Amino acid sequence: MDTFLAALFSGTSRGAIYALVALGLVIVWRGAGVVNFAQMGQAMFSTYIASTLISNGYSYWLGFVVAIIVGAAMGSLLDILVLRPLSNKKKTEFLSSESIRAAIPVIASLGILGALQALAGIIWAAEERGFPAPYPQEGFTIANNVMPFTSFDVFVIGIVLTTLLMTSLFFQKTGVGLAMRATALNQEVAKLSGIRTNFTRTLSWAFSGAASSLAGLLITPTSNLSPNTLDLVLIIGFTAAVVGGLDSPVGAVIGGFLVGMVISFVSFYGSPEDVFLSILAVLLLVLIIRPRGILGAKDARRV
Amino acid sequence: MLEVKNLVTSFGSVIALDGVSFMAAESKITTVIGANGAGKSTLLRTISGLETPSSGSISWLGKSLLGMRPENIVRAGIAHVPEGHSVISELTVEENISMGSLFRRRKFKGDVLAAQTEMFELFPRLKERRNQLAGTLSGGERQMLAISRALVSRPKLLLLDEPSLGLAPLVVEQIIDTINILCRTTGLTVLLVEQNANTALGVADHGVLLALGKVVADRPASELKADATLRAAYLGY
Repeated sequence: MDTFLAALFSGTSRGAIYALVALGLVIVWRGAGVVNFAQMGQAMFSTYIASTLISNGYSYWLGFVVAIIVGAAMGSLLDILVLRPLSNKKKTEFLSSESIRAAIPVIASLGILGALQALAGIIWAAEERGFPAPYPQEGFTIANNVMPFTSFDVFVIGIVLTTLLMTSLFFQKTGVGLAMRATALNQEVAKLSGIRTNFTRTLSWAFSGAASSLAGLLITPTSNLSPNTLDLVLIIGFTAAVVGGLDSPVGAVIGGFLVGMVISFVSFYGSPEDVFLSILAVLLLVLIIRPRGILGAKDARRV
Repeated sequence: MLEVKNLVTSFGSVIALDGVSFMAAESKITTVIGANGAGKSTLLRTISGLETPSSGSISWLGKSLLGMRPENIVRAGIAHVPEGHSVISELTVEENISMGSLFRRRKFKGDVLAAQTEMFELFPRLKERRNQLAGTLSGGERQMLAISRALVSRPKLLLLDEPSLGLAPLVVEQIIDTINILCRTTGLTVLLVEQNANTALGVADHGVLLALGKVVADRPASELKADATLRAAYLGY
């Protein structure tokens, strides 16, 4: 029973972070048609900036806020400087095949990831360093047992759930949210409705950059920080996004928690070495049984 | 006045519009008819900025539209309802309508709501289904929704691409009637592209006949309708 509770708690807190990463991926995928592999590279970079601020004596919260702002700014800049020019039809006209053209942004995002990791290595050295948590990371004690559930985990779950709720309200209730959804679903109709689709696309990148920076800040206290530490988080987050259905934000959140639970239960009941295999198994299972993911692209049916 | 001069639009080596010139008078319905592949849709898409012409000019009320993005052309008062009942299936009816007036929210807050209410009066079916996903609507309802989405932007010029496509005759009649009333009562200028020449010429003031990217006739609609030779040669009936 104790192991079960422990796995449940740890799965919830991990799952919350993966949900955030998956949400970031889904928003850029829907908004710009790109799987952004550089996402956790951006998060790593902004977490380093927070780390530098904090180790220079500034408060944790200043570092926290700056990292999220930097994440959003980096996302927007990547779109404006790299992705937008690459999606220009005229400039890529010489490539005859549609599938090659579709691969351009993906390759660019991998390039950006490599560049960010190299740059971080040059600026901050490639060795691991710790990153602070704003709340104690000692487990709560229930009936004389120390649970693997800490005040920091409560903070993580709280802030992620708040973020998810606010995101959902933003997309459902505001005009800008509607414009972003419209752009994601049908760019041509969005343009013909007077929506500035370049702007809403950049906004998706900014949003996703901020969300992944938050994920970076929340995961590095337990995983440490180095130019490559967040690679695994990206892979797990990507799995979560695919499991949920790459184009569904709600699916991404469900996928995130599901994958978090699987990882947690496998590492508590099995061995940590099986974790990677189990993620792969979940991915395969979903792709075989329900290739579009849990909530992926459900066509509206006529009644 | 919409003025199109020597417009050329091509896709790679295929020339879709080959020097098209015509004028559409304000507060009138001008129809562009022609067979499949005559370049009718391309003409509308070029006017609304979705396609870039390789030469020629387009001006509306004396202002050139060349080089403007589609979203700015809408803001200049030209709304385009593309072929195929283009609505966003995954959004609700209400969201599809309000999408068209998002850019007017700041300056004309009160009018945005008024425009939406007008659409629900114009098409009561949409009001009943306001919270349904657009994908669940029938073809005719979707076309009404696409037109509403365009009208809430308060256009002065409405570009309509094949509104009759795939719809039952009764529904077509209802939609064409609505457009006709709007034009006559509010002074809306309409450029109507149709393959169904009879319907289009029946309601239009002026007709332009396109064939293989060229204008072959540009006359009052009643004259075009009466010309049996042209009909036989270009429309096949």
